[in-house]
Amino acid sequence: MTKTFTENDLIRYVYGETSEIENNEIESALLCDSEVQEQFAQLLEITQQLSGVNYFPSENSVKNILDKAKELNLQSIAK
Amino acid sequence: MSKNEISDSQLVTLYRNGDEEAFSTLLNRHKNRVYTTIYLIVKDRYVAEDLLQDSFIKAVKTIKSGRYNEEGKFLPWILRIAHNLAIDYFRKEKRYPVVVMEDGSKVFNTLEFAEDPIENKQIKMETHQMLRQLIQELPEAQKEVLIMRHYMQMSFQDIADSTGVSINTALGRMRYALINLRKRMQQTSIAYDKNIYRK
Repeated sequence: MTKTFTENDLIRYVYGETSEIENNEIESALLCDSEVQEQFAQLLEITQQLSGVNYFPSENSVKNILDKAKELNLQSIAK
Repeated sequence: MSKNEISDSQLVTLYRNGDEEAFSTLLNRHKNRVYTTIYLIVKDRYVAEDLLQDSFIKAVKTIKSGRYNEEGKFLPWILRIAHNLAIDYFRKEKRYPVVVMEDGSKVFNTLEFAEDPIENKQIKMETHQMLRQLIQELPEAQKEVLIMRHYMQMSFQDIADSTGVSINTALGRMRYALINLRKRMQQTSIAYDKNIYRK
């Protein structure tokens, strides 16, 4: 089978941006093409690791936002 | 139905009608994602905290004034606000993001994981710690696309439109960013293993 999609298409597939037709083509290749399987596994691994990179704001910042939201809520009710 | 099961657009409507708890749910649902996006751009915990507050307060004012019209798309919308504020910050300061090694993150920022054996947690923590540094070391154009696609959840077409490049260029930058990160992760892991197992 001739592969017609590119590495960029595989990235679009990982991020859910490919069409139904493209999905079928990529998924067929994933069943029988070891090179595509490896590329896909590598992309999946790094994107999953990226999803684990998180920073967390301080409780103080969250409280400030909630206080301000409350204040603006009260102002809008008073109008 | 608990507030956690309600969609963002329903929460926005509830808050617009005076339900403060609805806003609290929205904030808790998205604060980490918004903060991560800002922090990856500004690389300063205190600036990121300020910009996080500015982003949500701007969102609140827009909602309360009845100008919010992105039904069902709260997260991309607030991420756009946060991104713009982060970029404005650099413009005002007349400086631009520079590639530096991140420091202090171990002290100031914590990582959160799903339940896992302690060894896995440790490995994941080290992996993410490494990745945080490597993201900052990426060329600026690659880092920009990576943040916009992975953390801001913008489509490649939207990224291409907002950065003024073709979709293929945006995809190419993302591809190189992912390849670079993977390669550097492997190199760093190898160096790390050699240090640990050195005789």
